[in-house]
Order: sequence, then structure tokens, then C-alpha cells
Amino acid sequence: MKSFSCVINDPLGIHARPAGKLAKAAKDFPASTITITKGDKSAAANQLIKLMGMGVKQNEKVTVTVDGGDEDAALAAMKAFFVENFSAECE
Amino acid sequence: MALDYRKCAEEIFSHLGGKENIISAAHCATRLRLVIADNSKINTKALEEVEGVKGLFDSNGQLQLIIGTGTVNKVYDEFLAVTGLTAASKADVKAAAASRMPLWKKILKTPGDVFVPILPAIVASGLMMGIVEAIPKFIPAFGQSDWFSFLDLVANTAFALLPVLVAISAARVFGGNIFLGAVIGIMMVHPALINAWTVGSMAPEEIPTWHLFFFNVKQVGYQGHVIPVILAVLLMCTVEKWLHKHVPEMIDLFVTPLTTVLVTAFITFTIIGPVFSVFENWVLKGAQTLITIGHGIGAAIMGAIYPFTVVMGLHHMYNVIEAGMISSTGVNSWMPIASAANFAQFGACLAVALKVKNAKTKSVAFPSSLSASLGITEPAIFGINFRFMKPFVCGMVGGAAGSLFASWMHGTNMAGETVAFGATTYGVTGIPGIPAVNNVPVYLVELLIAAGIAFVLTWTLWREDEPQKKAEAPKAAPEVSAEGMPSVIRCAVGEVLQPVKGKVIPLEKIPDETFAAGILGQGVGVEPSEGVVVAPFDGTVTSVFDTKHAITLESNGMELLIHVGINTVSMQGEGFKAFVSDGDVVKAGQKLLEFDRDAIKKAGYSDTVAILMGNSDDLDGVECGLK
Repeated sequence: MKSFSCVINDPLGIHARPAGKLAKAAKDFPASTITITKGDKSAAANQLIKLMGMGVKQNEKVTVTVDGGDEDAALAAMKAFFVENFSAECE
Repeated sequence: MALDYRKCAEEIFSHLGGKENIISAAHCATRLRLVIADNSKINTKALEEVEGVKGLFDSNGQLQLIIGTGTVNKVYDEFLAVTGLTAASKADVKAAAASRMPLWKKILKTPGDVFVPILPAIVASGLMMGIVEAIPKFIPAFGQSDWFSFLDLVANTAFALLPVLVAISAARVFGGNIFLGAVIGIMMVHPALINAWTVGSMAPEEIPTWHLFFFNVKQVGYQGHVIPVILAVLLMCTVEKWLHKHVPEMIDLFVTPLTTVLVTAFITFTIIGPVFSVFENWVLKGAQTLITIGHGIGAAIMGAIYPFTVVMGLHHMYNVIEAGMISSTGVNSWMPIASAANFAQFGACLAVALKVKNAKTKSVAFPSSLSASLGITEPAIFGINFRFMKPFVCGMVGGAAGSLFASWMHGTNMAGETVAFGATTYGVTGIPGIPAVNNVPVYLVELLIAAGIAFVLTWTLWREDEPQKKAEAPKAAPEVSAEGMPSVIRCAVGEVLQPVKGKVIPLEKIPDETFAAGILGQGVGVEPSEGVVVAPFDGTVTSVFDTKHAITLESNGMELLIHVGINTVSMQGEGFKAFVSDGDVVKAGQKLLEFDRDAIKKAGYSDTVAILMGNSDDLDGVECGLK
């Protein structure tokens, strides 16, 4: 299991469209479970409604956890996705 | 060369148009965020030139200077020092608001704040205790059974050790360590101390005493007490916070808790306890004198102030008065007063239960009133009546009226002589008191007067708080009907009715590729003819977006997203209104959102509403569109 944290810099946070994109991106890695966590709430990347329900806003920190067969590749792809789509600062 | 934070902060400040122009300053992971009074006074060009500032922009009414992770907080600290501003946080704003509250209001608010979190425990116990203790009054044999003894133990645990719950909750309210709070609470009812309920029957010289310095401390517990516990924990939290600030970090972990507990324990037993017990004795003597005032006036006053003594945790001492009465005259005329007072609180609480719209308050008020009718009033008083104050006062009036009536009445004793109305035992009030009184019809009328007056007064005078009312009103106001709403999505587990009036269009026609491609799930679009979204099924609101342009709902395994307009997230809630909040249970046809179609068009967006089944991949037989 691997994870990284990001501060979302997109002024709109994780809303419907990027959440959909995120779910699509996550589908490229069927062997891994990708989970997004904010505080005590978490959702799998393919649980759109739950993901949107988390209401992640600008400047909030989320943790992305990847677990499974292709986790290294998935981790890299997710990191790239967050940086590109949420102008996130990841570590 | 490392950035000179001070210099950076000073330079930024010099271009902002003076201190008066800065409303507030905060920072996030990378940026210094300033709220500026007048943007025309700031020198944007010069700001960009400042060493350390990597960029700046104006967003959401904030001037944001990009400085960088790990640096921004240092620049921020210097910035505060340079400008003399104070750090602004949500907590500060809240604290500032609270500190503007008058002291008496703050004091009155505290018991409520402490009690609300522990309500589940005392409501359960109060109700159970009322029932368990009432049964033997009607079926004496039950009182001897093992079941009674077991159930009684279960029921009275929370009350017997109430100070523990109060202490933990108080520690949370006052911001101390809850485990240290628990220690203080447990200590105050430690089994090695004489139980406060039994101490009344002991001769003063029998009570063991500690001699600590020049204090003589009676080894008596605080069972049934509330106020001394809250005071002790308040003291504990103050001591704890002070020590955290002043004790070096290296030894903080053992010095602070140790000192905190020791100091608090000492002061509690030597000062808080004795001062309180002197006060208690005054109340007791006062009460005894008060009820001797003729024509029922004393009784009426006592009936009115009785619930106050419950709030103070003084009522457990009344057993002394009752026992004294029975041994001297054989009639316990205190009991009708206590009964009237308690039953009036029941009446007031019942009125709240029936009138209130807030589901949570209702769910507390009903069992609490039931428990009060059985003589256990703490849940009703602390959970409902005292919190809203008006029901409490209405209850006082009812209690006074009931007591006044009772004091004029007479009963018959065992020998058939006419004596004052009262009870032959003590420790029971309310419904369980029926077999204990010497004139049952009078008792029933008394209870009816007390509860009836309290109920009617509360019903007419008390209104639900405005903010609560606002939130609740839409729930009750619109007539809910799903009639005439066609189904737009169907699947094996249920169907989704059309939540917005207008023309139904296939998913692919929604003018947004993410929706159209079905990335967010299968569904339909609606070109609205009316700016109202209603619930498409009976279900639960899982999330209302902060920007109120979208809502998610759940029903029977269906996860639905209703998204109003395209790109409307950018409108930041402007033109949108939500009538429900997260977790609300809704009925099909109930109003969820309102949106201003003109505002959306003016902002340059499409107002097409997307209705999407977020988990359509996991559902069987999903079929979209009108039938």
C-alpha cells in the first residue's frame, strides 16, 4: 500500500466534472484500490457520489492511498492527475 | 541565500496602503491571504517585485500572495509582528462572539452545554429507573425479586455516578483533558467516601473527617451533584491550561496531569465542597421554614423554586425533610410539592415534544417527558426545559399552582382521621406516587393542575428558536406530493421520478462532455421550465454541495446526483437556495433546491439539469428516459 498527500489548489475543489475524470483515470488501474481521504471521510476513486459528497475545497488536504498489483504505476498516474487537474501540491 | 522573512514581510506591508487597509491576514500552505479594504490603495506592481513573492492574484475578495510551502508561515509570523495584526482563525471569531455574550447568559448556558452530550445516557437511565422503581409501588412482590434488583442496578448506574458523566462532558466543554476530567468525576463519587444519599441519615459526629492543614474535610461523596462537579472541572481545566503553557515540554507529560489532579482535588474537597454544603444547608433550612408559611403561600413558592434546586443538585437532601415529617406527624406533605413541581416539568416538556419541529429535539423531549412523569426529571429539565428556559419557567408556574392546591386539601390516615394531604412514604413523585398518598383523587387533580398549567403555558408562550425554525420550516410547509411526476430512470431496485419540471433530454444531449459521456453515471438531462428541484424518491440526502448547485441522494442502494446547470459550481452558491441539509430524510416530491434560471443565464451558463445515477455500473437493469 502506498500513499501521498495533496493540497488542492483548484478554486472549485473536487466537484462533479473532475470527480468524474478522476473515476475514469482510476479505471485504468483495475488491479488497485484507490482511496481518497479527507479528515475522517474517505471514498474510493470510483465512488463518484461519495467522492463529491466529501466536498473537498480549495486549500484542503487529501490523502490518496493506492493498494494493489499495479500500485506503483497507479500512484504515479494519480499524482500526475492531481497536479494537472487540481493544480495540487503533492508530497 | 535564504529569504529574509522580516524584510519580505516589511516590503509587502509597505505596498499595502497602510495598516487600516488590511482587514485580516491568514495563510494557507503556500499563500499569504489578505483581505484588503480598498484594492486601489495597494501597489500590485511593487508587490510582485518583492523578493520571496512568487506571484499574486485577487480571488474571492482575497489578495493572495504566493510565497511557498514552509516559507509562507514564517513570512506570515513576521507580517503579523510588523503590522501588529492578530492571527485570525475561525475559532477566534467564534470565541470573540462568545465573549460578547453577557456573563449571566454564559453561566446559564454552561449546564446545558455540559448536559446535552450526555443526554442519551440520562434519558435511557431516567426512563428505565422511573419504570423499574414504579412497578413495586403497584406490585410489592416485584420489589423483592432478583429481576428488580438487577434492573434497578442497570437503571440507576448513570444517576448514581452522574458526576463522572458530568465531569467528562464538562472537561470537553472547558477544553481540558477528558480523562483527567473523568478522574475528577470518579474521585467525587469514590466508594471510599460516604454516599451523599445516605449521609443525611447519619449523625454529624459519625461522619469521618480528614484534617488537612487547617481544613476539616468531611469524607462525603458528591452523588447526585452537578454544579460542584462543573465547578471542579472548570478549575481543573484552568489549572491544566495554565500548566501546559508554563511547564517545560520535557516534563509536561508527568508534571501537568499530576499537579492538575492534585490541586483540583485539594481545592474541590477543601473549598468548593464545603462552600457548597454550607449553601445546601441554607437551602434546606430555608425550604423547611418556607413551607410553614400559611395559606399555601409557602408551598406555592416552594413548588415554583423546586426545579431550580434540581438544577443545583440539591433535591437529594429533601429526603431529610420528608423523613422528618413522617416521623413527627405521619404525613409527608413535602411530597405533594415535589410531585407538583416534577409533574409540571413533565407537562412543559410534553408541550415541547408535541410542538417542536426539530426531529432531534422531539426525540429527546418525548422520552424525557415520560421519565419526568415517573418522577425522574433530570432529562426533561437539563435536556429540554432548562435549555429553552421558557418551558422551565412555565413548569415553575404549574408547580406553584399544583402545590398551592395540594396544601389546601386534606386526606385520611390509616386510623381514619382527617389529616393534611400528603404521602405516607418518601422518595417518590409523579405517577409512582399514587399508591403513596392519603387521598388519591386529590393527588390526581393536583397532578392535572400542575401539568395542565405548565403544558398550556408552554404551548402558548414557547416558540422554537428562529434559526431552527428557519431550517425546519420548509420541511413542514410545502405539501409533499409525488403525483404526476413521471419516471425518468428505472432499475431493478427502484425508480427515479423527474425532479425538475421541463423537457427531458437524453444524456448525450447534455451540453457537457463529462455528463454526456456518462462518466458520472447513466441518467438523463432536463431543460428546466421552473427553478425548483424536488426529491425524486423517498430517500436520504447524502450531501448538499456548499455551492448549493448540486445534491446527492440515496435510496435503496441508488446513489443519485442532481446537478443544476453546467459549470454552475463557479457561481459559488449565488442564485441557489437549499431547503434540506446533509442527512435529511426526504419524501418524493419534497422541495430540495431552488435556482434562479435568469441568474444562471446571466452568468453565461446552461441551466440544463443533469440527473445521474452515480453507481449505475453496479445496478441491474438501468433504463433511462421517459417511458
